Amino acid sequence: MKKNRKWPAFYLALIFIILYAPIFYLIFYSFNSGGTMYQFEGFTLDWYRELFADTRLLIIVLNTVIIALLSAAISTIIGVAGALAISYARKRRVKNTLLSLNNVLIVSPDVIIGASFLILFTMIGLKLGFVSVLLAHIAFSVPIVVLMVLPKIEEMSTSMIYAAMDLGASRFDVLTKVILPYITPGIFAGFFMALTYSLDDFAVTFFVTGNGFTTLSVEIYSLARRGVSLNINALSALLFLFTIILVIGYYFITKRNEKPNGMGVRQ
Amino acid sequence: MKKLVQALAAVLIVSFALLYIVSGLNSSQGYTSGNTLTIFNWGDYIDADLVEKFEQETGIKVIYETFDSNEAMMTKIEQGGTAYDIAVPSEYAIEKMKEEDLLLPVDHSKIPNLKYIDQRFMDLPFDPGNEYSIPYFWGTVGILYNTDILGDKKITSWNDLWDPELKNQILLIDGAREVMGMGLNSLHYSLNDKNRDHLIEAKEKLDSLTPNIKAIVGDEIRMLMENDEAGIGVVWSGTAQELMWEKDNLEYVLPEEGSNLWFDNMVIPKTAKNPEAAHQFMNFILDPENAAQNTEYVGYSTPNKEALKYMDEETISDERFYPDEEMTARLEVYENLGKRMLAYYNELFLEFKMHKK
Repeated sequence: MKKNRKWPAFYLALIFIILYAPIFYLIFYSFNSGGTMYQFEGFTLDWYRELFADTRLLIIVLNTVIIALLSAAISTIIGVAGALAISYARKRRVKNTLLSLNNVLIVSPDVIIGASFLILFTMIGLKLGFVSVLLAHIAFSVPIVVLMVLPKIEEMSTSMIYAAMDLGASRFDVLTKVILPYITPGIFAGFFMALTYSLDDFAVTFFVTGNGFTTLSVEIYSLARRGVSLNINALSALLFLFTIILVIGYYFITKRNEKPNGMGVRQ
Repeated sequence: MKKLVQALAAVLIVSFALLYIVSGLNSSQGYTSGNTLTIFNWGDYIDADLVEKFEQETGIKVIYETFDSNEAMMTKIEQGGTAYDIAVPSEYAIEKMKEEDLLLPVDHSKIPNLKYIDQRFMDLPFDPGNEYSIPYFWGTVGILYNTDILGDKKITSWNDLWDPELKNQILLIDGAREVMGMGLNSLHYSLNDKNRDHLIEAKEKLDSLTPNIKAIVGDEIRMLMENDEAGIGVVWSGTAQELMWEKDNLEYVLPEEGSNLWFDNMVIPKTAKNPEAAHQFMNFILDPENAAQNTEYVGYSTPNKEALKYMDEETISDERFYPDEEMTARLEVYENLGKRMLAYYNELFLEFKMHKK
């Protein structure tokens, strides 16, 4: 058996190299003093300087982050409520239908969703911009949150709820002191999923941006015809770093809170 | 529960702090004032300094948005939602937008600088009398080749591409009009030929090119040529110019038989809120000095005759990008073929793409 142990590690390493190589390639060239991605001429920080001098681009980046954070937070709230509703639906038929409807939203193509939103928003007379992008992002993030939270709820033993009720807990207490603490990891996972979905979405976002409000993905795609400049590489490097820090932070927070491990009843 | 509430509060605090920063940045850029002009352009297709200069000269604030394809741009304009005052579509898109009644006529009396535009680029079939559009940049379709890979081989015409020595070396743009046009041109027919026999002949000629074709691709043609992946690429002049700035081993030629002449023109969509400012901006861009500055930044060919005086001698004497009268006479602008004929072009192109080596 000992011989076999090396292969999985090797396989895993290979997968990670394939996954990360393009990102590191991109970051590597953000330090290139030559203007292109095919020849490394020398080290420079010019692209980073140029990036911070470009107010328009900075506004776009901040917009992107704001939209991601807000839409992820709101869709997490809606998604958790939705997951609870689905899981406590009495009839099996209703439950399955709701779940399927949720899944349909996940698999339907972005372009369709984007175009539908554009038509809807212009029909009801909503001005395209911050609000329309936020609404669209919330809409496509909710089903993901539902899917992330649902397994946690299903995994929870119902006897815990009965026990709490026997001990005199109100419905509200059951929700806030038993259910929510138990499914917290699922909620966080849903939040971060929604965050990444919102950060990188192009197709839906393109249709609903307007009136001077754009996000990063739309801006970068529009550079396709003229070629992407290296300050976009610099920007990608910074965003990559930022997300890595977020993930590490999240890891430590969950690590610290794992100690009282077990019953799920926490303050 | 406490942890969740804390996390939510943290997220909200961060996002509102960021919102505050953005609104600060926005007002420092003056994006919030009343008199604004909204421009919808291709990514990185204008010198940002010029936008600033325009803002300072006129006091009009410019909101600048970008798109990545004519089709996407048209969808957004058609649906409304944002009132774009200026858009920059390519010629076939202008024709379509005209048909769908999406454009406002341009008032020539408000654009005195229009006189600087070379007459060759006015009154073209896609917009007779320039009723709806003002030239912004123009270019051609031609052959970009890699001298490292091809060695001493000289390419001067479309027919050179059929050389059996070029096996598996050619990259084509995935566009029915471009590729069919190349087939037609190589037979000395017009790009806009509607004769079905000629078209079939062109398609059959293209079929015989298949052994030489490496791939039919989209925008990634730029990357492939940049990385020396292929000896020859049939590309737009704008792409060619940019690549040649970066690499010395690339050459661009306009084929002897003739080729396509394309345009990106400024138009005013029907939904425009500030057509007055749109005219002002058009006039501003047509100012010879501004046009020269913009051209030097973007790198495509300018239709502005007067601007050439302010530009680098070397650039404007380059006949590949500023062809003389004789060559331009052989270049053709795409005409509207009508739905049926266009469908036939597409069908033949599809058949060609499926043709086995």
